[in-house]
Amino acid sequence: MRIRVAAVGDVHLGEDLRGRYRRRLDGIEERADVLLIAGDLTRHGTPEEGRVVADEFRDLPIPVVTVLGNHDYQSDAEDEIVALLRDAGIRVLQDDSTVIQCGDLRLGVVGGKGFGGGFAGKCASEFGEPQMKAFVRHTREISELWHKALKGLNTEHRVVLSHYSPVKDTLAGEPLEIYPFLGSYLLAEAVDAEGADLFIHGHAHSGVEKGLTPGGVRVRNVALPVLRRAYAVYSLSGEETES
Amino acid sequence: MSHEAPHHVAPGHDAPHYLAARVQRALAEDERTYELGIRVDIRGDQLFLRGQVECDERRRLVAAVAEDTAPGLRVHNEVTVVEVREPGEEEAL
Repeated sequence: MRIRVAAVGDVHLGEDLRGRYRRRLDGIEERADVLLIAGDLTRHGTPEEGRVVADEFRDLPIPVVTVLGNHDYQSDAEDEIVALLRDAGIRVLQDDSTVIQCGDLRLGVVGGKGFGGGFAGKCASEFGEPQMKAFVRHTREISELWHKALKGLNTEHRVVLSHYSPVKDTLAGEPLEIYPFLGSYLLAEAVDAEGADLFIHGHAHSGVEKGLTPGGVRVRNVALPVLRRAYAVYSLSGEETES
Repeated sequence: MSHEAPHHVAPGHDAPHYLAARVQRALAEDERTYELGIRVDIRGDQLFLRGQVECDERRRLVAAVAEDTAPGLRVHNEVTVVEVREPGEEEAL
């Protein structure tokens, strides 16, 4: 018994790419039970681009779950984009969870866009100017919400879906100087506290696909320029992960 | 009446280091591109762009923004379009 999770991120759709991604999804139901999209759905974050995204991913034969990315906030239209996606039947996580029934198994997906701050020992702190405190507080509050959402899930399998990265492993190839803008260890800490089968993220176009949290949760960077394929498929099986 | 920026341009303002930073910032902030992952290097009067975008039109726009931001430099557009293959084998975790 297994659950097959398809995942991709950073598709950056717009009118100039309308229809191109959809045809890559033909037959996805033969390969996967659910599709997770790791944010940066658009390039400018406009409602017009949101409509393209909704049209590309609507009415697929498998459930689709997404989070937003930083590009999807660029035009201050994130709420409208979320509404467009939900109208198209796409589940949008905003620091909460959803449960998908896959045969006899239930898959819990927790997540949201995440945020940055850096990695243990080399990160920003909630200290000093209000702007710096707000930056780090945003990530801390997100990680607390994810921790709570994971704790509340009683499913056979659990996956975390984010735009930002929880670890440095999957950033290899990105300039070291921008790591604090690519993710935060606080995201990993929240997930390691409760356990999960898999952590999916995007955002790091020059990174690598595979990594691991300090607690041993597999991390996969599914940004399209990293995957260079329409989507990756991860098969979850084995023992239950409930803690 | 000049439409030039009114601020004083200090000597060294157009050092390649700052010019490359301005081009990189323009690529991120110009609504024609909004591309955050493009590397910009300047050597003499040559400007090199590297990275990946999603289609040919976006590749063309990256060069256009660079040319507008750094007029007079010869732009070498080494940006590539992401090639997306069919989904491969699944990975068992």
